[in-house]
Amino acid sequence: MNSLVLLNGSPRGERSNSMKMLKRVAEGWVRGGGAQPEVLHLVRRAQFQRAVEAFAGADVVLLGMPLYTDAMPALVKAYIEALAPRVEAARAGSANPALAFLVQSGFPEAAHSRPLERYLEKLALRLGSPYAGTIVRGGGESLQAIPEQANRKLWARLGALGEQLARNGRFGAAELKAVAGTERLSRFGVTIASVACRLPVFQFYWNGTLKKNGAWERRFAAPYGSAFEK
Amino acid sequence: MRITILNGEPDAASSFHAYLETLTHRLLASGHAVTKIDLAALDLKGCTGCFNCWVKTPGECAKRDDSATVCRAVLDADLLLLASPMSMGFTTALLKRGADQMIQLIHPYFVVEGGEIHHRARYAHYPVFALLLGADPDSDAEDVEITRTMWGRMARNMKSHLAWSAVTEGNAEEVADELARVA
Repeated sequence: MNSLVLLNGSPRGERSNSMKMLKRVAEGWVRGGGAQPEVLHLVRRAQFQRAVEAFAGADVVLLGMPLYTDAMPALVKAYIEALAPRVEAARAGSANPALAFLVQSGFPEAAHSRPLERYLEKLALRLGSPYAGTIVRGGGESLQAIPEQANRKLWARLGALGEQLARNGRFGAAELKAVAGTERLSRFGVTIASVACRLPVFQFYWNGTLKKNGAWERRFAAPYGSAFEK
Repeated sequence: MRITILNGEPDAASSFHAYLETLTHRLLASGHAVTKIDLAALDLKGCTGCFNCWVKTPGECAKRDDSATVCRAVLDADLLLLASPMSMGFTTALLKRGADQMIQLIHPYFVVEGGEIHHRARYAHYPVFALLLGADPDSDAEDVEITRTMWGRMARNMKSHLAWSAVTEGNAEEVADELARVA
């Protein structure tokens, strides 16, 4: 039975959207015949350290993260820097685990995450690791707002990807494409979104929270310069 | 021209640090107002995705740390130079820690820009972005290109664009002169 170390790179830890998705991939992995994974949250200092130590001994490492300012969160980059000795080790002939990734973002389109995906694929090459693929998924922040039930299709796809990882050692291309959803807005999509963004209802998630926090009146605050007006 | 440099090199004794010192002095000698921020010297707690800077204390990070210093210096500049050695094929975790907390400079609302969904501006002006990467024997041209692409997208989300980038291979003073011609 292959071993899996599942690393949650979200600074939000256990309750993150990344972890919600990783959990479904892990369930699929077990269904596909993989061993119960060791789950580590990089935001916890002791678990970060354990994740550095556990790396070389795993058959597969699945590292999930949210997109932060168009790249990996600083926390994940710190982890990757801690793996530098494994680059040397690989050159000296020591094997590194297969690497699989999950990148989720708040943007509806997958295109925002593709440059990070490219980086991660190159990272696997740098470590001499077989590259098992990257799950890219947009619209992540809405997971906080909508009921579990509404995500059934997404959970099923993530589970199927986990099964593929256990059975074939990599994610399947068709399932990766399906889970990514909208890659880019179509010309029609741009028109619709341009109109929708001007409607208060489209920003309901933010507006609701702003109001609840009593911050609605200050939502356009610009403490460090002159405010954008439009 | 007002130039803010965010230095993401954690090691003050490194050759990259020395290179950046030379570059900074050259820019000052040419009459530019330069603010150089050594991120390693600041207390930056790092973004934890709490979104309080969007929904609770709009425009301000709720953590009590030095991210306000970074944000103010970024907005006060015409040109923002992100400076970092290449490490594991990208800029350092330290530079990223500084950048992650910059989401307080934009607004949560979505807008459509260039055919993509992006965040709305919070401020009337943002600096033009530039990127200085410390050469590293383990980084190749593809690593540099991937790094530039990611920071280029970050610049777009900061209502700006990446106007210039270089690797510390050339003479630091010549690189400084080239940079000064950008904005």
